[in-house]
Amino acid sequence: MSNQKENKTVFKAPFGGLGAGLFINGIGCISPQRTFDNSEFLAEVKEYNTNRLTCVDADYTKFFDAGSIRRMGRLMKYGTAAGMIALRDAGLEVPGAISTGTALGLPEVSQKFLKSLIEVDETIVSPTTFIQSTHNTVSSNIALLCKCFSHNNTFSHKGFSFESALTDAQLLVLENMNNILVGAYDEVSDYKYAAMKKTKELRGEPCNNLDIYGEKGNGVIAGEGAAFFVLAKEKTENTYGSFVGNKTFYKPESTEEIRNHILSFLKENNSSLEDIDVVITGISGAKETDATRIDLNKNLFTTQTIIAYKHLCGEYMTSSAFAFWLASKMMKSQQIPDSVILENRNRSPKNILLYNSHKHNHSLMLFKAC
Amino acid sequence: MKVFIAGKGVISAIGNNVAENLASLRNLQTGVSKITVLPTRYAETIPAAEVKLSNEELAQRCGLNSGEPRTAFLSSLAAKEAVDDANIPNFKKWRTGFISANTVGAMDKTETIYKYYLEDSNTDKLIEEDPYDAGYVTELVANQLGIKDHITTISTACSSSTNAMAYGARLIKANQLDIVVAGGCDAMSKFTLNGFNSLMILDTNPCTPYDENRKGLNLGEGAGYVVLVSEKVAATLTKKPTTFLSGYANANDAFHQTASSPEGKGNFMAMQGALEMSELTTKDIDYINLHGTGTSNNDLSEGVAIQRIFGDVPKVSSTKPYTGHTLGACAGIEAVYSILSIENNIIFPNLRFQNKMKELEFSPVTELLENVEVNHVMSNSFGFGGNCSSVIFSKHQ
Repeated sequence: MSNQKENKTVFKAPFGGLGAGLFINGIGCISPQRTFDNSEFLAEVKEYNTNRLTCVDADYTKFFDAGSIRRMGRLMKYGTAAGMIALRDAGLEVPGAISTGTALGLPEVSQKFLKSLIEVDETIVSPTTFIQSTHNTVSSNIALLCKCFSHNNTFSHKGFSFESALTDAQLLVLENMNNILVGAYDEVSDYKYAAMKKTKELRGEPCNNLDIYGEKGNGVIAGEGAAFFVLAKEKTENTYGSFVGNKTFYKPESTEEIRNHILSFLKENNSSLEDIDVVITGISGAKETDATRIDLNKNLFTTQTIIAYKHLCGEYMTSSAFAFWLASKMMKSQQIPDSVILENRNRSPKNILLYNSHKHNHSLMLFKAC
Repeated sequence: MKVFIAGKGVISAIGNNVAENLASLRNLQTGVSKITVLPTRYAETIPAAEVKLSNEELAQRCGLNSGEPRTAFLSSLAAKEAVDDANIPNFKKWRTGFISANTVGAMDKTETIYKYYLEDSNTDKLIEEDPYDAGYVTELVANQLGIKDHITTISTACSSSTNAMAYGARLIKANQLDIVVAGGCDAMSKFTLNGFNSLMILDTNPCTPYDENRKGLNLGEGAGYVVLVSEKVAATLTKKPTTFLSGYANANDAFHQTASSPEGKGNFMAMQGALEMSELTTKDIDYINLHGTGTSNNDLSEGVAIQRIFGDVPKVSSTKPYTGHTLGACAGIEAVYSILSIENNIIFPNLRFQNKMKELEFSPVTELLENVEVNHVMSNSFGFGGNCSSVIFSKHQ
């Protein structure tokens, strides 16, 4: 996979300190919004009167034969299709390597297997769902479809899953690979939804996804989605912008510590707060965790346009991949849809900072329009 | 830039630490037996390689709450042994990562809860963690180890812990981290037992990898970790590292979701890639610790690929007749065995082997070999989804 000795790229380091970054040359996103068509950009926002958002399906016959569509679980379909959309968008048949993140793998299909073995008390179970149950199923299914024999990785670590795949992709480029297909996918299973309800993480119903950031109500809305990107060393006609770098940090003890991480991350990437035009915040509607985010929005990001995204896709552990998609679309179109603006300071989306967190997992990403 | 192995830790059916594992390997002591810990209807009919300690005993030994997943207990014990073994001065001052692997996360704990959930979707037993939350286990152990700088989990089926070690080494080479505790863990669960059983690839007797009459695999459980360090950290160690990670590669077979291609394309590419990185030739490899699960399909694909690359095949054996197939943990456990092989100039036998496979020109080592020079060991791991990874450990002179 690598050849350390011939490292001649401009690329320097995954956790910051990188100059030009990697170009985002293809994107594919399937989410609770109509995002699978790259010629559109949130023209119409889908409103949900429920605390559980599920993906708007693409036309899967464009990607798989009828038999496969029947056999594949829901996430397998939308996860694989999102990857294929990104590849087609980049005009690539085979990526240089594939790296993905998924916090929970394929819960619906694995729980179907679990349910059947409990119901029949371990007597006779069909292997069909077991076969699709490993976390790496989507990543390897894409490899199978496009015959990609190269590096194939799947990270499954809560709110660091997509972030680790991004780091992996950056390391691969450092090791002289190119055109890395990187992405993330998760789904809200019935079990997860029940558990979120029980642990009071979830917002009570009735609720409306377009009204979760105000004083009214507390808790997140459950969400899901898949988003994939082709990251490359060279710019193409289709380039959306560049992904400059990312950084994760675990269990910060105070808002002050988060603030320091943000500032040092920008510095490591030869940037500063003044350069940032747009901040994508991971605000979710959960009062307790939002308090820190609101504090930062008020006291640190005082001149930036602040945008939110979890009303569109819901809360899930790899939602930062949806934010990555949003950043890509904003950079290319140089537009910020009204539906995502939380605080408008009339800045055009040139330099974009994402700060998201899920429980103890915090992540930062930096983007630069070309 | 070399990435050294500063420490190692392991727990498996043949021992609760490195010394016990080595003793069992030497004494040809298998860990495969009747299932006694996992509550399953197959306890009497399908053998497995369980760690012979109850959840309560494991929890007490590792200091975690006994209600946590068994996978976390196994991970904690092996990872802590590895960190203690490395005995790195000023451990806290370095940039440190914990890269762990597992395939079914908190499944052993949640499959029990799931039963109650099916009866009542609002049961008080519901917890935050999903059965497939692999990262949950990693964080429990990272917290115990006091590691914060970089934490992640890899889940690429049975090749998971090779990829964890490779990712750790790459982060060190890219000067992102100084120390990485890398490896993997998995506990037995009804989910995996029934899953592999439904695929009809479980041997109802102790497994016989690479045998013409092999009938399938035995599942096992355990954890194995190595402490990877940069040259800078290695220079500060009181105990000089014996080995370094000289090569690794990750390839995909892109053939079938669960089966390997007959010619072992992915296996071939993984071994080839690891050899290229290590700048070694096939003649330099003294021993291959096979993936060797005992299934008809795996052993054939792996064997054919080895034959194609090596021609003159070195000494090979699968240690799975000792430990069973420990899935996400297997490459971590086998990494420890590979290092033990180099440190002790010893090659472990492929227990219970009798008949050479007709498709292959070589057969595995059947007796314990002592006083053989072992400088370079290749370890293979291949999984569902065509994930194929190989790693090479080399003696540090």
